[in-house]
Amino acid sequence: MTLDLDRAYQVISTARQMDERMWRLARSGRAHFAVPCSGHEAIGAGYGLALRAGHDFVAPHYRDLAAMLAIGLTPREVFLHFFARRDDPCAHGRQPYAHWGSRAHGVVSLQGPQPNHVTHGVGVAWGSRLLGTDQVTWIAFGDGGAQKGEVHEAMNIAAIHKLPVVFCVENNFYTQSVPSRLESSRPDIGARAAAYGIPGESVDGMEVEAVHEAALRAIARARAGEGATFLEARCYRFLPNTSNDDDTRYRPREEVEEARLRDPLALLRQKLDAARADAIDEEAMTLAAEAAEWAEAQPEGDPEEMFEHTYALSS
Amino acid sequence: MSTRTLSLLEAVREALAEEMARDPRVVLLGEDIGLLGGVFRATDGLLDRFGPERVIDTPMAETAIAGIAMGLAMRGLRPVAEIQFADFMHSAMDHIVGEAAKLRYRTGGDWTAPMVVRTAYGGGFRGGPYHSQSIEAFYSHVPGLKVLAPSFPDDAKGMLTAAIRDLDPVLFLEHKRTYRAITGPVPEGEHVVDDGRLRVARAGDALTIVGWGMMLHEALAAAEELAAEGVEAEVLDLRWLLPLDREGLLDSLRRTGRLLVVHEDTLTMGLGAELCALAAEAGVLRAPPVRVAMPDIGGIPVADRMEDAAIPDRRQVVAAARRLLEKSPSPTGRVGVGEAYDPTIPEAASVVEVRMGEAHLEAVLAAVAEACRAVPQCNATFTWDEIRLHDQVSVDLDLGPLSPARGGGTFTLVDYGPAGSLLGLPAVRPGQTATLRVGAVREGRAYLALSVDHRAVDGADAGRFLATLKGRLEA
Repeated sequence: MTLDLDRAYQVISTARQMDERMWRLARSGRAHFAVPCSGHEAIGAGYGLALRAGHDFVAPHYRDLAAMLAIGLTPREVFLHFFARRDDPCAHGRQPYAHWGSRAHGVVSLQGPQPNHVTHGVGVAWGSRLLGTDQVTWIAFGDGGAQKGEVHEAMNIAAIHKLPVVFCVENNFYTQSVPSRLESSRPDIGARAAAYGIPGESVDGMEVEAVHEAALRAIARARAGEGATFLEARCYRFLPNTSNDDDTRYRPREEVEEARLRDPLALLRQKLDAARADAIDEEAMTLAAEAAEWAEAQPEGDPEEMFEHTYALSS
Repeated sequence: MSTRTLSLLEAVREALAEEMARDPRVVLLGEDIGLLGGVFRATDGLLDRFGPERVIDTPMAETAIAGIAMGLAMRGLRPVAEIQFADFMHSAMDHIVGEAAKLRYRTGGDWTAPMVVRTAYGGGFRGGPYHSQSIEAFYSHVPGLKVLAPSFPDDAKGMLTAAIRDLDPVLFLEHKRTYRAITGPVPEGEHVVDDGRLRVARAGDALTIVGWGMMLHEALAAAEELAAEGVEAEVLDLRWLLPLDREGLLDSLRRTGRLLVVHEDTLTMGLGAELCALAAEAGVLRAPPVRVAMPDIGGIPVADRMEDAAIPDRRQVVAAARRLLEKSPSPTGRVGVGEAYDPTIPEAASVVEVRMGEAHLEAVLAAVAEACRAVPQCNATFTWDEIRLHDQVSVDLDLGPLSPARGGGTFTLVDYGPAGSLLGLPAVRPGQTATLRVGAVREGRAYLALSVDHRAVDGADAGRFLATLKGRLEA
């Protein structure tokens, strides 16, 4: 399965347009919270387009807007979540933006504390084994999350039982402000795969084709019953951690500017016909603007709805 | 249904085996549950019978056990995780409290986590600080979670069966000393106890003693000693620690008027505090309540005499009961449902501004009667079983500290007259579902504030009530 570069560019361009719009909306006080994905889009598009949408499961990283678009969430649905509107399909107005979730799309509900979804994803993958299906579970998390003890517990158990799972660390070299040298004694997180006796691979997370190829290999292994893979995809976050962050306190501007020279959008653009890329960008901008405007005008839930869904019988 | 005598441990094992046989979605995971059959043998024989796919020996990884159980539940399986000792559960707490209990809520019901976490709790085994703790108070503070603690073998089977079938995550607490010390009749075959109600373990009318787990048995032994003195104590087995059976507790206290709570968990912020608060707020106590609990010490000591002194027993319960019976009626206590404020009522308030004159009480009373007929939910009594709408409107008038409401009505009207504040949000009286407060009239206008019991009256009803009132008063 080769990657449709037009489709990948469309996903990345749409994610970028939405990301920049969300940033402005949050900073101008029209929304609560933005969580940028710029710099992570090639990873999301690369794995999202490698999965079987609606069949496989994803326990995503919060920066995986591109993956959500790739597997079928629409820009309108994403903006309903962003604005915490009544019909927010991810969290029904109960969680801030980027707390992905959708049963229909196989997206495992994402929580606040990172990366608790890693163990949930292993349970979801184990479900495929027990139910006798060939559904694969993709679990993505950051280099910050990778330092938590429960990631070890999860990877160890997935390796013991050869579960149909792919662990993908999206390494942007910062845990919010804490740099990689203070996160881990070795920056090459992907090397940890050897400790579990599972295949490990480090890829350039700015190159969508590289991510996609590695994802296809890992997914094929999982689907064939050969067990877990650990991918490290190296990238860089172009914007602050969230709309509440000030990254000038911990990152030199020169470093950010240098990283932007390897923008995943620009790298992919070079492989496309320029007129075609322009047309996709134009379409993405219109799509993002229309979706944002539409979602902002949608109603919020009634305060009474806060009493729903604590227990099954209160639903 | 025929019964046999089983220990509580055997009843737990039987419930697991029968549910696994009935439902292939039920899988067990935990430390030492397979080859060893569990350190207490709760899962003995299940690996041989159901195989390693469904009886999973995990590494020593409590966090992952809870997190993976949640993932399995999200796929429609029915995982039953065992945390070997309750003391080891703290590292799994994030996935029980922060994740499973919130999953339904945070996704608006899209994803759910019907899972059970079983664990062995309680002291008396010379286990020291890390094999003896009671943990119920931590978890009974978590909406979205259910916390069950059986005291008898038949309940252990019936409640565990119900827990496995429950649509919400359940923490199932098994007291270690009850495993073998407590035996009793257990129905053969399917046995489900899912009513969410406490169990009257012994009937009486002199006082109410509430307990669960091993302390329930200490309470029963104490009640026998008291009976020899001619005092008949009612002993309640709380068994559903969350959600609480409030009505069951208050039913008993309306008859006895005296409450003694006994728990092995430490005193401060324990469940006893919540039960005493519920009783005090409902105004059903004739004397201040009493708690018997583990003192607030840093852990349960392993040395024989220290551990025995730390864990409450029947002698302490008897002594506390005698003290409680000697106590004179509390100066602030009231019997029956009075005008006491009940903060457990989830209140919502709405306000309208109305044109009205200084002398308005008659007109407001007439308008309230009309609005109560138009929106009968506001003239009702809420219980956990039903919302009872009253045929007659009987307004209690609260005209200030010198002329408070007499009680007994179906609706309360608060009007402190010209001396009152412009706007005050009134409290809903127990037994009623709505209260209206008329603010002071300034320049021919006043604010009318309606507080409602949100379990009985929704926002749209409250709005209709106020619209009816305003329409009538301004007509």
